[in-house]
Amino acid sequence: MTSERSTPHDSGPVSCREALERVFEWLDGELDPELAREVGEHLSVCAGCFPVLSFERSFREALRRIPQGAPPSEDLRKQILASLESAGLRPPQ
Amino acid sequence: MDAVFRFALRLTGERERAEDLTQETFLRAFQNWDKYTPGTRAKSWLFTICRNLFLRGEDRTRRQREILSEVVDEDPRNVSRESTVFLAVRDRDPEGSFWNEVVDDEILRAIEALSEQFREVVVLSDLEGLSYEEIAGMLGVPVGTVKSRLFRGRRILQERLYEYAASQGIVRRADVGTASARTVDGPIEDESV
Repeated sequence: MTSERSTPHDSGPVSCREALERVFEWLDGELDPELAREVGEHLSVCAGCFPVLSFERSFREALRRIPQGAPPSEDLRKQILASLESAGLRPPQ
Repeated sequence: MDAVFRFALRLTGERERAEDLTQETFLRAFQNWDKYTPGTRAKSWLFTICRNLFLRGEDRTRRQREILSEVVDEDPRNVSRESTVFLAVRDRDPEGSFWNEVVDDEILRAIEALSEQFREVVVLSDLEGLSYEEIAGMLGVPVGTVKSRLFRGRRILQERLYEYAASQGIVRRADVGTASARTVDGPIEDESV
Protein backbone atom coordinates (compact mmCIF):
# COMPACT_ATOMS: atom_id res chain seq x y z
CA MET A 1 0.00 0.00 0.00
CA THR A 2 1.36 3.40 -0.88
CA SER A 3 1.34 6.27 1.54
CA GLU A 4 0.03 8.66 -1.08
CA ARG A 5 -3.04 7.82 -3.11
CA SER A 6 -3.70 9.00 -6.60
CA THR A 7 -6.89 10.61 -7.76
CA PRO A 8 -9.55 8.26 -9.17
CA HIS A 9 -8.01 6.65 -12.21
CA ASP A 10 -8.92 4.25 -14.96
CA SER A 11 -5.46 3.58 -16.24
CA GLY A 12 -3.65 0.33 -15.45
CA PRO A 13 -4.91 -3.22 -15.82
CA VAL A 14 -8.00 -2.67 -13.64
CA SER A 15 -10.37 0.29 -13.98
CA CYS A 16 -12.29 1.88 -11.10
CA ARG A 17 -15.41 0.29 -12.51
CA GLU A 18 -13.98 -3.22 -12.37
CA ALA A 19 -12.30 -2.68 -9.00
CA LEU A 20 -15.60 -1.60 -7.46
CA GLU A 21 -17.42 -4.52 -9.03
CA ARG A 22 -14.88 -6.89 -7.54
CA VAL A 23 -14.49 -5.39 -4.09
CA PHE A 24 -16.54 -8.05 -2.28
CA GLU A 25 -14.87 -10.86 -4.21
CA TRP A 26 -11.50 -9.38 -3.32
CA LEU A 27 -12.40 -9.12 0.38
CA ASP A 28 -13.79 -12.66 0.30
CA GLY A 29 -10.56 -14.02 -1.21
CA GLU A 30 -12.45 -15.31 -4.23
CA LEU A 31 -10.34 -13.86 -7.05
CA ASP A 32 -7.58 -15.77 -8.77
CA PRO A 33 -4.14 -14.64 -7.57
CA GLU A 34 -3.25 -12.47 -10.58
CA LEU A 35 -6.57 -10.61 -10.65
CA ALA A 36 -6.54 -10.34 -6.84
CA ARG A 37 -3.14 -8.65 -7.02
CA GLU A 38 -4.31 -6.19 -9.67
CA VAL A 39 -7.59 -5.38 -7.96
CA GLY A 40 -5.89 -5.09 -4.57
CA GLU A 41 -3.31 -2.73 -5.99
CA HIS A 42 -5.94 -0.54 -7.56
CA LEU A 43 -8.13 -0.44 -4.45
CA SER A 44 -5.22 0.48 -2.21
CA VAL A 45 -3.77 3.27 -4.35
CA CYS A 46 -6.84 4.86 -5.93
CA ALA A 47 -8.11 7.85 -3.96
CA GLY A 48 -11.64 7.25 -5.24
CA CYS A 49 -11.84 3.52 -4.57
CA PHE A 50 -9.87 3.23 -1.32
CA PRO A 51 -12.66 4.72 0.84
CA VAL A 52 -15.12 2.23 -0.67
CA LEU A 53 -12.76 -0.60 0.22
CA SER A 54 -12.45 0.67 3.82
CA PHE A 55 -16.21 1.06 4.11
CA GLU A 56 -17.00 -2.42 2.73
CA ARG A 57 -14.27 -3.98 4.87
CA SER A 58 -15.74 -2.44 8.03
CA PHE A 59 -19.19 -3.71 7.10
CA ARG A 60 -17.94 -7.22 6.35
CA GLU A 61 -16.00 -7.33 9.62
CA ALA A 62 -19.13 -6.28 11.52
CA LEU A 63 -20.97 -9.28 10.03
CA ARG A 64 -18.13 -11.67 10.78
CA ARG A 65 -17.69 -10.65 14.40
CA ILE A 66 -21.18 -11.85 15.32
CA PRO A 67 -20.87 -14.45 18.07
CA GLN A 68 -21.78 -18.01 17.16
CA GLY A 69 -24.73 -18.02 19.54
CA ALA A 70 -25.74 -20.53 22.14
CA PRO A 71 -24.71 -24.09 21.30
CA PRO A 72 -27.31 -26.83 21.01
CA SER A 73 -28.30 -28.56 24.20
CA GLU A 74 -26.40 -31.61 25.37
CA ASP A 75 -29.69 -33.49 25.07
CA LEU A 76 -29.60 -32.99 21.32
CA ARG A 77 -26.30 -34.82 21.05
CA LYS A 78 -27.77 -37.71 23.05
CA GLN A 79 -30.95 -37.72 20.97
CA ILE A 80 -28.96 -37.89 17.75
CA LEU A 81 -26.87 -40.79 19.01
CA ALA A 82 -30.02 -42.56 20.20
CA SER A 83 -31.79 -42.08 16.87
CA LEU A 84 -28.76 -43.40 14.99
CA GLU A 85 -28.61 -46.39 17.26
CA SER A 86 -32.31 -47.16 16.91
CA ALA A 87 -31.94 -46.97 13.12
CA GLY A 88 -29.07 -49.45 13.31
CA LEU A 89 -26.54 -46.85 12.19
CA ARG A 90 -23.08 -46.30 13.55
CA PRO A 91 -20.92 -43.23 13.06
CA PRO A 92 -18.28 -43.95 10.37
CA GLN A 93 -14.74 -44.46 11.67
CA MET B 1 -22.83 -30.68 15.09
CA ASP B 2 -22.74 -27.11 16.37
CA ALA B 3 -22.35 -25.65 12.87
CA VAL B 4 -25.30 -27.67 11.55
CA PHE B 5 -27.42 -26.56 14.49
CA ARG B 6 -26.47 -22.90 13.93
CA PHE B 7 -27.34 -23.20 10.26
CA ALA B 8 -30.65 -24.91 11.09
CA LEU B 9 -31.41 -22.15 13.57
CA ARG B 10 -30.81 -19.52 10.89
CA LEU B 11 -33.13 -21.37 8.54
CA THR B 12 -35.95 -22.02 10.98
CA GLY B 13 -35.59 -19.13 13.41
CA GLU B 14 -36.75 -21.43 16.20
CA ARG B 15 -34.56 -23.41 18.55
CA GLU B 16 -36.89 -26.39 18.87
CA ARG B 17 -37.36 -26.74 15.10
CA ALA B 18 -33.62 -26.30 14.63
CA GLU B 19 -32.90 -29.18 17.01
CA ASP B 20 -35.37 -31.42 15.15
CA LEU B 21 -33.84 -30.43 11.82
CA THR B 22 -30.32 -31.08 13.11
CA GLN B 23 -31.31 -34.52 14.34
CA GLU B 24 -32.96 -35.36 11.04
CA THR B 25 -29.91 -34.08 9.15
CA PHE B 26 -27.53 -36.40 10.97
CA LEU B 27 -29.86 -39.35 10.59
CA ARG B 28 -30.12 -38.72 6.85
CA ALA B 29 -26.37 -38.21 6.57
CA PHE B 30 -25.55 -41.51 8.22
CA GLN B 31 -28.13 -43.30 6.09
CA ASN B 32 -26.44 -41.86 2.98
CA TRP B 33 -22.85 -41.96 4.11
CA ASP B 34 -21.90 -43.90 0.94
CA LYS B 35 -22.91 -40.82 -1.08
CA TYR B 36 -20.44 -38.57 0.66
CA THR B 37 -17.43 -37.82 -1.52
CA PRO B 38 -14.25 -38.16 0.53
CA GLY B 39 -12.06 -35.10 0.22
CA THR B 40 -14.99 -32.68 -0.02
CA ARG B 41 -15.95 -30.59 2.94
CA ALA B 42 -18.29 -32.50 5.24
CA LYS B 43 -19.70 -29.24 6.57
CA SER B 44 -21.12 -28.15 3.23
CA TRP B 45 -22.46 -31.67 2.56
CA LEU B 46 -24.30 -31.62 5.92
CA PHE B 47 -25.57 -28.10 5.23
CA THR B 48 -26.92 -29.29 1.88
CA ILE B 49 -28.85 -32.11 3.55
CA CYS B 50 -30.10 -29.74 6.23
CA ARG B 51 -31.29 -27.18 3.69
CA ASN B 52 -33.01 -29.79 1.53
CA LEU B 53 -34.88 -31.17 4.53
CA PHE B 54 -35.88 -27.67 5.56
CA LEU B 55 -37.15 -26.74 2.11
CA ARG B 56 -39.12 -29.95 1.86
CA GLY B 57 -41.02 -28.97 4.98
CA GLU B 58 -41.68 -25.41 3.92
CA ASP B 59 -44.76 -24.00 2.30
CA ARG B 60 -43.36 -23.55 -1.19
CA THR B 61 -46.01 -21.12 -2.30
CA ARG B 62 -45.30 -18.77 0.57
CA ARG B 63 -41.56 -19.06 -0.01
CA GLN B 64 -41.87 -18.36 -3.71
CA ARG B 65 -44.01 -15.31 -3.05
CA GLU B 66 -41.44 -13.99 -0.58
CA ILE B 67 -38.58 -14.51 -3.04
CA LEU B 68 -40.45 -12.83 -5.87
CA SER B 69 -41.34 -9.78 -3.83
CA GLU B 70 -37.74 -9.29 -2.72
CA VAL B 71 -36.41 -9.79 -6.24
CA VAL B 72 -38.72 -7.08 -7.50
CA ASP B 73 -37.45 -4.75 -4.79
CA GLU B 74 -33.87 -5.55 -5.70
CA ASP B 75 -33.89 -5.29 -9.46
CA PRO B 76 -30.19 -5.38 -10.38
CA ARG B 77 -30.67 -2.35 -12.59
CA ASN B 78 -31.34 -0.38 -9.41
CA VAL B 79 -28.21 -1.55 -7.62
CA SER B 80 -25.17 0.65 -8.03
CA ARG B 81 -21.57 -0.48 -7.74
CA GLU B 82 -21.03 1.75 -4.75
CA SER B 83 -23.24 1.24 -1.74
CA THR B 84 -25.94 3.90 -1.44
CA VAL B 85 -25.14 3.90 2.27
CA PHE B 86 -21.50 4.64 1.49
CA LEU B 87 -22.63 7.53 -0.68
CA ALA B 88 -24.80 8.82 2.16
CA VAL B 89 -22.07 8.70 4.83
CA ARG B 90 -18.87 9.22 2.84
CA ASP B 91 -18.46 12.86 3.83
CA ARG B 92 -18.78 12.18 7.56
CA ASP B 93 -17.67 8.57 8.00
CA PRO B 94 -16.06 7.29 4.79
CA GLU B 95 -14.47 4.31 6.54
CA GLY B 96 -17.80 3.10 7.86
CA SER B 97 -16.67 3.06 11.48
CA PHE B 98 -20.33 3.34 12.51
CA TRP B 99 -20.77 -0.35 11.60
CA ASN B 100 -18.80 -1.13 14.76
CA GLU B 101 -21.43 0.65 16.83
CA VAL B 102 -24.30 -1.46 15.52
CA VAL B 103 -25.07 -4.15 18.06
CA ASP B 104 -24.75 -7.79 17.07
CA ASP B 105 -28.39 -8.58 17.89
CA GLU B 106 -29.53 -5.94 15.44
CA ILE B 107 -27.29 -7.39 12.72
CA LEU B 108 -28.72 -10.84 13.39
CA ARG B 109 -32.26 -9.48 13.26
CA ALA B 110 -31.52 -7.83 9.94
CA ILE B 111 -30.06 -11.06 8.55
CA GLU B 112 -33.09 -13.01 9.74
CA ALA B 113 -35.38 -10.49 8.05
CA LEU B 114 -33.78 -11.08 4.64
CA SER B 115 -35.72 -13.21 2.22
CA GLU B 116 -34.54 -16.78 2.05
CA GLN B 117 -32.47 -16.56 -1.11
CA PHE B 118 -30.40 -13.67 0.25
CA ARG B 119 -30.31 -14.87 3.85
CA GLU B 120 -28.85 -18.25 3.01
CA VAL B 121 -25.92 -16.90 1.01
CA VAL B 122 -25.12 -14.26 3.65
CA VAL B 123 -25.27 -16.86 6.43
CA LEU B 124 -23.18 -19.39 4.50
CA SER B 125 -20.55 -16.87 3.42
CA ASP B 126 -20.33 -14.32 6.21
CA LEU B 127 -21.27 -16.39 9.23
CA GLU B 128 -20.09 -19.87 8.24
CA GLY B 129 -17.16 -18.95 6.00
CA LEU B 130 -18.03 -21.19 3.04
CA SER B 131 -16.52 -20.36 -0.36
CA TYR B 132 -18.66 -19.22 -3.29
CA GLU B 133 -18.05 -22.57 -4.96
CA GLU B 134 -19.17 -24.52 -1.91
CA ILE B 135 -22.29 -22.39 -1.61
CA ALA B 136 -23.05 -22.80 -5.33
CA GLY B 137 -22.71 -26.57 -4.96
CA MET B 138 -25.04 -26.57 -1.97
CA LEU B 139 -27.72 -24.47 -3.59
CA GLY B 140 -27.40 -26.02 -7.04
CA VAL B 141 -26.84 -22.65 -8.73
CA PRO B 142 -23.94 -21.14 -10.71
CA VAL B 143 -21.18 -19.31 -8.82
CA GLY B 144 -22.29 -16.11 -10.57
CA THR B 145 -25.69 -16.41 -8.91
CA VAL B 146 -24.04 -16.75 -5.50
CA LYS B 147 -22.01 -13.57 -6.17
CA SER B 148 -25.08 -11.71 -7.31
CA ARG B 149 -27.23 -12.79 -4.35
CA LEU B 150 -24.46 -12.09 -1.87
CA PHE B 151 -23.92 -8.66 -3.35
CA ARG B 152 -27.61 -7.80 -3.14
CA GLY B 153 -28.09 -9.42 0.25
CA ARG B 154 -25.25 -7.34 1.70
CA ARG B 155 -26.62 -4.19 0.11
CA ILE B 156 -30.07 -4.79 1.63
CA LEU B 157 -28.45 -5.40 5.02
CA GLN B 158 -26.43 -2.20 4.72
CA GLU B 159 -29.52 -0.16 4.02
CA ARG B 160 -31.53 -1.69 6.86
CA LEU B 161 -28.68 -1.38 9.36
CA TYR B 162 -28.04 2.17 8.27
CA GLU B 163 -31.70 2.98 8.95
CA TYR B 164 -31.33 1.43 12.39
CA ALA B 165 -28.07 3.31 13.05
CA ALA B 166 -29.68 6.58 11.99
CA SER B 167 -32.74 5.95 14.18
CA GLN B 168 -30.45 5.31 17.17
CA GLY B 169 -28.37 8.42 16.52
CA ILE B 170 -25.29 6.32 15.75
CA VAL B 171 -24.95 8.06 12.41
CA ARG B 172 -26.56 11.20 11.09
CA ARG B 173 -29.23 10.45 8.56
CA ALA B 174 -28.83 11.43 4.95
CA ASP B 175 -31.20 10.73 2.12
CA VAL B 176 -30.00 7.32 0.95
CA GLY B 177 -32.39 7.23 -1.98
CA THR B 178 -31.12 10.38 -3.60
CA ALA B 179 -27.41 9.99 -2.91
CA SER B 180 -25.62 10.20 -6.22
CA ALA B 181 -22.71 8.05 -7.30
CA ARG B 182 -19.57 9.28 -8.93
CA THR B 183 -18.92 8.78 -12.59
CA VAL B 184 -18.16 5.06 -12.50
CA ASP B 185 -21.58 4.34 -11.05
CA GLY B 186 -23.90 2.26 -13.16
CA PRO B 187 -26.10 -0.79 -13.10
CA ILE B 188 -24.65 -4.06 -11.93
CA GLU B 189 -25.15 -6.90 -14.35
CA ASP B 190 -26.96 -9.88 -12.94
CA GLU B 191 -24.32 -12.59 -13.17
CA SER B 192 -26.90 -15.30 -12.68
CA VAL B 193 -28.11 -15.05 -16.26
